[in-house]
Amino acid sequence: MRPTDRQYLKSHEWCKIENGIATIGISDFAVSHLSDLVFLDLPAKGSSVTVGESFGEIESVKAVSSLYSPVSGEVIDANKDLPDNLEWLSQEPFGKAWMIKVKVTTKSPDLMAAAAYDTHCQAEG
Amino acid sequence: MLRVIRHEPLPAARNMAIDEALLASAATPTLRLYGWSPHAVSLGYFQRSADFADLPPGTPIVRRLTGGGAIHHGDELTFALAIDARWLPRDIAASYRLLHGAVIDALAAVGVASHLVEGQPPSARPEQRWCFAGPTRDDIATSGGKLLGSAQRRVHAPRERVLHHGSLVLQRPALTPFVAAVADSMPVAAALRQRLGDEVVDRLAAVLGLQPVAGALTADERSLAADLEARRYADPAFVHRR
Repeated sequence: MRPTDRQYLKSHEWCKIENGIATIGISDFAVSHLSDLVFLDLPAKGSSVTVGESFGEIESVKAVSSLYSPVSGEVIDANKDLPDNLEWLSQEPFGKAWMIKVKVTTKSPDLMAAAAYDTHCQAEG
Repeated sequence: MLRVIRHEPLPAARNMAIDEALLASAATPTLRLYGWSPHAVSLGYFQRSADFADLPPGTPIVRRLTGGGAIHHGDELTFALAIDARWLPRDIAASYRLLHGAVIDALAAVGVASHLVEGQPPSARPEQRWCFAGPTRDDIATSGGKLLGSAQRRVHAPRERVLHHGSLVLQRPALTPFVAAVADSMPVAAALRQRLGDEVVDRLAAVLGLQPVAGALTADERSLAADLEARRYADPAFVHRR
């Protein structure tokens, strides 16, 4: 079971909301399927993100994938050390590999609890 | 059905705009075959244009939506597969092996022996700026070096889609003479180009389990491609965004 203190999107981003601030990252499942990560682009502090739209991009040796925002709002912080330490995504995808923090105005209706997300991952293989 | 679109060589920005339009809009799995006129350099999505400041003056440069290293697109058979992700293995490496296996079979059908590179894991942070400089696991190579450059873009919204780019070298490009080429094995004449294109179409369609059907861009795709060409791929701000 993945951490139950947060919710998940089918596209494998996680979102933990505390006091109106969402911390966002990607799950271990996403990391295992990307593998061999080489680049990560995150939005700048002060920019806006929108539910369901891309907030960043990540490149493995063989593919670039978009990252999708589970919330709308203003980016109040980005993990600026992460792009130079992409191994953190394999080591602690739910911890120090967080990507952005957003002051939430709207939350995606598609966010799932951990149990439902686990089932989704099992179905995807 | 696999819609197959064959285009004459086009300018770099138009090629990349059409491929993004196919990724964004095509409801039908689509395979586009094309070339480059004038010859051009495409940068991987994350590459820095400043690392290519030494290119000969006037060399056209475009930034791809797909990742990986830069390619000098000279005389090559380029293909773009735009398809819902469900048609491919979820595992990225497995999707490469599936598609590359088909291309190896297509090459064999015209008499070019090639193989999947084994055993060399991709480097964690590639230092080489050219795609063809360092073959890695699951690339297609001949005894002369890497023969096919490949890269993907995966999107999840509005639905899971994959754009897979393949650059099959027919003759060695001027800026990357270290690549392998079909011309190493045989003269590249018009009949061979046609036959190799046909084989690539048939073999890719076969591994996807789809029936190839000749088609063309829709009016909406042409319109979207024109918009993307003007505001993204032909815009120096995008080319030099990194």
